[in-house]
Amino acid sequence: MKKRVFNEKQKNIILCSIAVVMACIMLFPIYWIVVSSFKTNAEIFASPPTFIPKVFTFSNYTEQFVGKNSILIAFGNSCKIATSSMVLSCLLAVPAGYGLARFKMRGKKIFIISFLVTQMLPVTLILTPMFLVYKNLQLLDNSLAPILSDSTIAVPFVVLILRTYFLALPKELEDAAKIDGCTTFTSFTRIMLPLSYPGIIMTAAFSFLFAWGDLAYSLTFLSTPAKRTMTAGIYNFMGQYGIQWNKIMAYGVLLVLPVVLIFIFLQKYIIGGLTNGAVKG
Amino acid sequence: MKIKHTSEFLREEREGYIFVLPALIFMLAFVGYPIIYNFILSFRDVSVMTISQEVKPFIGLKNYIEVFKDPTMKISIWNTFVFTIGSISIQFVIGLALALFLNLKFKFAQPIRGLMVVSYLIPMTVTALLFKFMYSTSGGIINELLMSVHLISKPIGWIISGNTSMLSVILTNSWVGIPFNMLLLTTGLSNISYTLYEAAQVDGANVIQRFFRITLPELKPAILSVLVLGFIYTFKVFDLVFVMTNGGPVNSTELMSTFAYKLSFTQFSFSKGATVANVLFAILFCVSLGYLGLIKDEEVIG
Repeated sequence: MKKRVFNEKQKNIILCSIAVVMACIMLFPIYWIVVSSFKTNAEIFASPPTFIPKVFTFSNYTEQFVGKNSILIAFGNSCKIATSSMVLSCLLAVPAGYGLARFKMRGKKIFIISFLVTQMLPVTLILTPMFLVYKNLQLLDNSLAPILSDSTIAVPFVVLILRTYFLALPKELEDAAKIDGCTTFTSFTRIMLPLSYPGIIMTAAFSFLFAWGDLAYSLTFLSTPAKRTMTAGIYNFMGQYGIQWNKIMAYGVLLVLPVVLIFIFLQKYIIGGLTNGAVKG
Repeated sequence: MKIKHTSEFLREEREGYIFVLPALIFMLAFVGYPIIYNFILSFRDVSVMTISQEVKPFIGLKNYIEVFKDPTMKISIWNTFVFTIGSISIQFVIGLALALFLNLKFKFAQPIRGLMVVSYLIPMTVTALLFKFMYSTSGGIINELLMSVHLISKPIGWIISGNTSMLSVILTNSWVGIPFNMLLLTTGLSNISYTLYEAAQVDGANVIQRFFRITLPELKPAILSVLVLGFIYTFKVFDLVFVMTNGGPVNSTELMSTFAYKLSFTQFSFSKGATVANVLFAILFCVSLGYLGLIKDEEVIG
């Protein structure tokens, strides 16, 4: 009996060590982007490479904030576009997810399938026609163009995820609300929305991230450098100053930082959100 | 009684439409309409020359004929398939291995699975630039590591040489896709009843027999949907290749998506770009129909 416990313990240690090694290999590129962003220009090209910078320099970061091409402008643009797209997507998609979960209606299956199929469409399919449409509407070089197109990625995602979310909430709650004098609309805003807020926060965060990570739309629809997002900024960085990898990596870290923060913040909601139930049994 | 039922149904339907219609109209305007417009574009002559004209000339199948005469088109179709099949094979094998391994019960399994998802969340542009840096001939960590273990004697121009560029973008895309495969397959694994394994153990089946006789057959639905979804998501990849190689060197990584972009926004022959995008769409559409057939009566459309 004692021997077996010991074996289990050993097994656990072996498996854990293998897992850690695998995680290190898989996540090495992420380590590398962070480390490289603190290296000097000379050290970036050093052979053999250094795994911990000999000289830590913050200038790759500080330099991004000065001058008229300051990263703050692109950061502001990215925030504006991603936030607007998130708000628009949620305003449209949260009620739709609820509607498709709760109401009997003709054409429901087709609606669901169309949302499903739009998720599979290539960006390039929409790019050319929308460029011409925005040109006609004189929306080119206006941040509304990427906001609208980014939302087409988020809307179907939010609709489909929240639909299953609303389906899982007990229908008795609504029936009870109706008996207490709620209309369909007030029972949606006062009962269903507060109950599903973990799901809404999760899908909202994802719709923010879709727009945050988009390159194709912002690069194609916006031409003035001062209007461009961070993804377009880092893309142009490459051509502008030759290849300064340490600065590009620092820019990349700043671009990924909000994603990591959201991810850390989000985990709680994914776990908490799925286990919360108002009525048991 | 029946009339009352019907009017109630109509009332409910009306309320339902109020909730659903805004999103539906939005998607019709910004996705549905462009798809149709794209289709129309592919039969007209829309380029820098004609863009300011009121009426764009209708030219029938001329765009399709010209696009298919272009050798780059054939290369890009071929490359798109190589890229897709290469990526999903690598992603799937590693993703399955990781899912199986992290499904064993040990302390770090859960947190490590969570950590691995990070690569899936990084914006593609950043991933593309990061790998471009790691592949580079001067200061690139991949060449340095391979040289330090004496596998190669001088740096390989991973993405600047036509022989290795496709492999390089496939590996990069796989790195992004592995967590996605792992997560979906983990869900599939957790649905397999433990009693099956217990019964097999009683019958004296070894690990390999259990894997091929229980795990694989039970995992089949999950495997199918991972592969089909993987195909759809990989087939349309744009930003990764656009940023890493922009189709080069000499078209060796040119995909249909990057080719369509180039036609529209570098050469400004919008109708040709639309034509290539349409061919890409047609192939994806067929695969999507297959996928919908797979999940027909399953959880998604309940």
